[in-house]
Amino acid sequence: MSDISKTERSKRYLNPYLGGVLLGLVLLAANFIAGRGLGASGAIKSVVATSIEVVDKNAVNTMPFMAEYAQSHSGSPMRSWLVFEMLGVLVGGFISGAIAGRLKLKVEHSPKITSRRRLVFALIGGTLFGFGSQLGRGCTSGSALSGMGVLSLGGFITMVGIFGTAYALAYFFRKNWI
Amino acid sequence: MGPLAPNGIISENTNFLLAFFIGIAFGWVLESSGFSSSRKLAGQFYGYDTVVLKVFFTGAITCMIGLLLMSLFGWIDLDLVYVNPTYLTSAIVGGVVMGAGFIMGGFCPGTSFTGAAIGKIDAMVFVGGLFIGIYGFAFTYPWWEKMYMAKYLGEPKISQSLGMSDGIFGLLLILVALGMFVVAEWAERKFPREEY
Amino acid sequence: MKPLKLLAIVIIPLGIILAAVPADKTKRFKLSADELLQEAGTGAQFISPDVIADMLVQKDPSLQLIDVRTPEEFDAFSLPGAINIPLSNLLADENTNILNQDARMNVFYSNGSVTANEAWMLTRQLGYENNFVMEGGLNYWFGNILSAQAPSQTNPNEEFAKYDFRKSAAAALGGGGVVATEGSATAPKAAKPPVASKAKKKAAGGC
Repeated sequence: MSDISKTERSKRYLNPYLGGVLLGLVLLAANFIAGRGLGASGAIKSVVATSIEVVDKNAVNTMPFMAEYAQSHSGSPMRSWLVFEMLGVLVGGFISGAIAGRLKLKVEHSPKITSRRRLVFALIGGTLFGFGSQLGRGCTSGSALSGMGVLSLGGFITMVGIFGTAYALAYFFRKNWI
Repeated sequence: MGPLAPNGIISENTNFLLAFFIGIAFGWVLESSGFSSSRKLAGQFYGYDTVVLKVFFTGAITCMIGLLLMSLFGWIDLDLVYVNPTYLTSAIVGGVVMGAGFIMGGFCPGTSFTGAAIGKIDAMVFVGGLFIGIYGFAFTYPWWEKMYMAKYLGEPKISQSLGMSDGIFGLLLILVALGMFVVAEWAERKFPREEY
Repeated sequence: MKPLKLLAIVIIPLGIILAAVPADKTKRFKLSADELLQEAGTGAQFISPDVIADMLVQKDPSLQLIDVRTPEEFDAFSLPGAINIPLSNLLADENTNILNQDARMNVFYSNGSVTANEAWMLTRQLGYENNFVMEGGLNYWFGNILSAQAPSQTNPNEEFAKYDFRKSAAAALGGGGVVATEGSATAPKAAKPPVASKAKKKAAGGC
């Protein structure tokens, strides 16, 4: 039984190389249309900046982070390319999941650990990643993937940092995954 | 002649609308490739699922080839395309912190949105963590500002720093990636796991 | 066939094509802003009107004067052998072969130096070489060459040499009146030179 379902389930996912080519074309389209690559963490940064501004209208003058953000973004922080793009990501992911029958509210975790443990690590991981994405001026989508697409040295360095560290620490967290 | 928005060929609003559609395509491809599953993503680091390597590098190479070819035909002005700046210190430190976040959380921001979109609660919690992390950075920014701005090298391209043309570097990258794919497929055969 | 093989078969040839293309074909602007600033700062593009006058008198064939003013001003007066490419028309396709070549020395001139220097900056950024600017433009030309002032007795000898040269140049080139429109000999308008052999695009350093 597990053999059949394994092949069935793997048929439901795109072949990775095809997925990669399609992803590359999407990235190419972004570069051609908007002159910039994809991204993700930047959208969250926009929401954070907006919320800070709502609570404290003077934040741009009191918080250096807000000042630095305002320098590179004019107008309302929510009017940012990435915000619109990430809204699209939600929709696109949903549609794809719906078509493939993968819509399901659940906590995905290795059977060897509890849901709670998984969620705790998800939270810690997200916090670290959010913080790191600010230092790295982008996440895997914005800095690593899009950076590589335009041959950016900074993007490449960040990518090596991400993947290298993940490999290096993999042994210590193996119990969570395998 | 591209890119369209920087050249004023499309308005800012059109650009945002198209961003939405590009996002849809992005999310769709990510989900269809299995990036909505944290176990598939983490599998990259244990050898049993190398979808991350394949999709990532194929994607980067496809885009790179596309941009260089388009530039050759004069369809795009590469000088107007954003090249990520290189701030050496924060690029490395940020990468390391993100790497830790990746192996612990099993997601990155883009994939976490995709996972959240199909109902993965661990993905949603990851997104929550992202907010916490960014708020944390915002409020402690003065502590990091110096590191954040250190060692600005401009916007060099990898090909530039290696002293070769874009095209030659591109070929090199293609060959290296194909080599990695061969190793990846061998690894997958050696460490098989159930498909998620 | 295995997807990996298919992928390899497609992208390796593409990679080879890209590797074979010289770097500067993929960039529009051959010089970065920094490089252009450095070159502009040295002022190496400026040529003294005395040198131009000398070349005209000697009938040096490598000189090509380019008047970047409007056609009306060009018709009113132009230097001998000059062709008219108004600044607004500088980037038209038909002028590319004149501006981007390595056979002759193009010298832009205008009334002062500003417009001619603008023309130089534009063409230099595109990577064209062999273009120069006549320093001081026609104002200097009229003021100092065609109506050269006799130096006072206390000036060094070179001033006298310059003055003598300018007087004879003025005579050879039909100097006289300061006002351009009054019957100063205008050289017959030169027709645009026949489109030369294909422009050579030197690989610029621009990286």
